[in-house]
Amino acid sequence: MNAVRAMTRSVAIPLFALGRPGGWSTRGSILLLNVLGVAGFLLLWQVATAGGFLSPLFLPSPGQVLNEATQVAATGELWRSIVDSSRRVFFGFALAALFAVPLGVLMGLWAPARAIVGPFVSLLRPLPSITWIPLTMLWLGIGEAQKIAIVFMGTWVYILVYTVESTKRVDPLLIKAARNLGASDLSVMREVILPGALPGILAGLKVSLAISWSCVLSAEMVAAQSGLGALIWNAKDWSNLALVLVGMVCISLTVLVADLAAGVIERLLQPWERHRHG
Amino acid sequence: MQAILAAEHVTKIYAVHAKETTAVRDVSLDIREGEFVCLLGTSGCGKSTMLNLFAGFTQPTNGRVLLRGQPITKIEPRCGMVFQSYALFPWKTVRQNVEFGPKMQGLPAARQRELADRYIAMVKLSGFENHYPAELSGGMQQRVTLARSLAADPEVLLMDEPFAALDAMTRQVMQEELLAIQEASGKTVVFITHNIDEAILLSDRIVVMAANPGRVTAVIENPLNRPRDLVAQATPAYAALKSRIWDLVVGDVRGALAGRAGRA
Ligand SMILES: Nc1ncnc2c1ncn2[C@@H]1O[C@H](COP(=O)(O)OP(=O)(O)OP(=O)(O)O)[C@@H](O)[C@H]1O
Ligand SMILES: [Mg+2]
Repeated sequence: MNAVRAMTRSVAIPLFALGRPGGWSTRGSILLLNVLGVAGFLLLWQVATAGGFLSPLFLPSPGQVLNEATQVAATGELWRSIVDSSRRVFFGFALAALFAVPLGVLMGLWAPARAIVGPFVSLLRPLPSITWIPLTMLWLGIGEAQKIAIVFMGTWVYILVYTVESTKRVDPLLIKAARNLGASDLSVMREVILPGALPGILAGLKVSLAISWSCVLSAEMVAAQSGLGALIWNAKDWSNLALVLVGMVCISLTVLVADLAAGVIERLLQPWERHRHG
Repeated sequence: MQAILAAEHVTKIYAVHAKETTAVRDVSLDIREGEFVCLLGTSGCGKSTMLNLFAGFTQPTNGRVLLRGQPITKIEPRCGMVFQSYALFPWKTVRQNVEFGPKMQGLPAARQRELADRYIAMVKLSGFENHYPAELSGGMQQRVTLARSLAADPEVLLMDEPFAALDAMTRQVMQEELLAIQEASGKTVVFITHNIDEAILLSDRIVVMAANPGRVTAVIENPLNRPRDLVAQATPAYAALKSRIWDLVVGDVRGALAGRAGRA
């Protein structure tokens, strides 16, 4: 029993976990292996660069990267970049959600709305957000509004599609049950359709949040004075590879943190899913 | 006395992918106010279809379904449905599920809670008020569904095999509770079951149905007096009634099995 649970938990290393409850499968051992793996990689990297196997022109050493990181952190430039990018993601994403979630619910419930908006969705969905850069620059310049617009254009369609699908999939039996218990149209909406569609909508928002980061970074690489994308792009122009790596690591960590926060919010909003986590 | 619920020559045909199924054909049935009626019959004979028509979930293809003489044309809260598949709101706790009907009626919060507590206690689920349906066993969910319908206080209770998922002991307790409620409130109950003993124990009349096409083959007045407890079940009158119903049902069961075998 324990062994089965342990196996499912450590899918990454099933071979070591096989038939050995408490062996390489406890939480502590997994963490240890995680740390050992990363440390081993860093060591290899250090040896390869410091030992002269790899030219610093191709890849700076971990020490250089750390050094660079403390420098840009000290000047405040790193934080400013993180805050600038995060702010753009936040506004673009929030606008997209405010626009697409209500529209998606309407489309999920009302076929004519689906029919009217459907073609636009089909045409816009295949367009990567970077293809909007020329037009948005023409309309909005290269300021904040343009970055936010890129995030918006890159995410609203996904949020919409997820919302429409999850609204359509709300169990019709539950809607019948609610009406049978005396619910009005408005109550059916508030008590059944919205909570019923919520898991799907939140899943769509999470996916779109990840996408919105790649939108903002590509927009910042093309034209921006600030933000993590600009940091990386400028560092490349100055041939400061260490700073490029610092920027990349920061992007990873920021997106990870955003994703974790989204996961926490998701759980808080859906207490009835708690049996899946416990 | 006027029937509270009536089906007049009701036929319901479902069409799925151009294949038509006659769920019920030409069913006429009067259900009197305060009466406890059981619909009894093999799987697929149209029992749930009849309840869905009474609740207004579907409309008859032919004929009429009436509540107090008025055609039922939309979902009818006066006919409360206890669903065969529970249909609990997964995002609501047991208490919130049971409070739903009172809440929709606009009762004050304190009253909602009072009703919920009463019916949760009645179905023996006190202590589980804050559980979500996914955290309950099938039998417990079935009892929540019952409590939810009772709390909404409909004039007619439509119950689709409401005790099917319960163990024998719990089932007996719930049957007694339901009878007590029905006697105290004078509610009309239309109750679906596969179980002849359950039908005899609960009902004033037993409507026997047969399949292919779904139809009513007999309506039997229950001659046994309440309470029809274990003592009553040992009497010759009980045995006679049971074998009479069995004879009516068994032909249909055999026919269905033979038909299936013939087709295979
Ligand atoms: N929504 C539907 N669409 C298509 N066919 C349906 C639908 N509902 C019921 N039927 C068909 O109508 C017939 C009667 O079904 P119904 O659910 O009323 O039977 P039942 O007597 O309640 O059976 P059970 O005891 O198994 O619940 C069946 O042949 C079924 O396939
Ligand atoms: Mg049924």
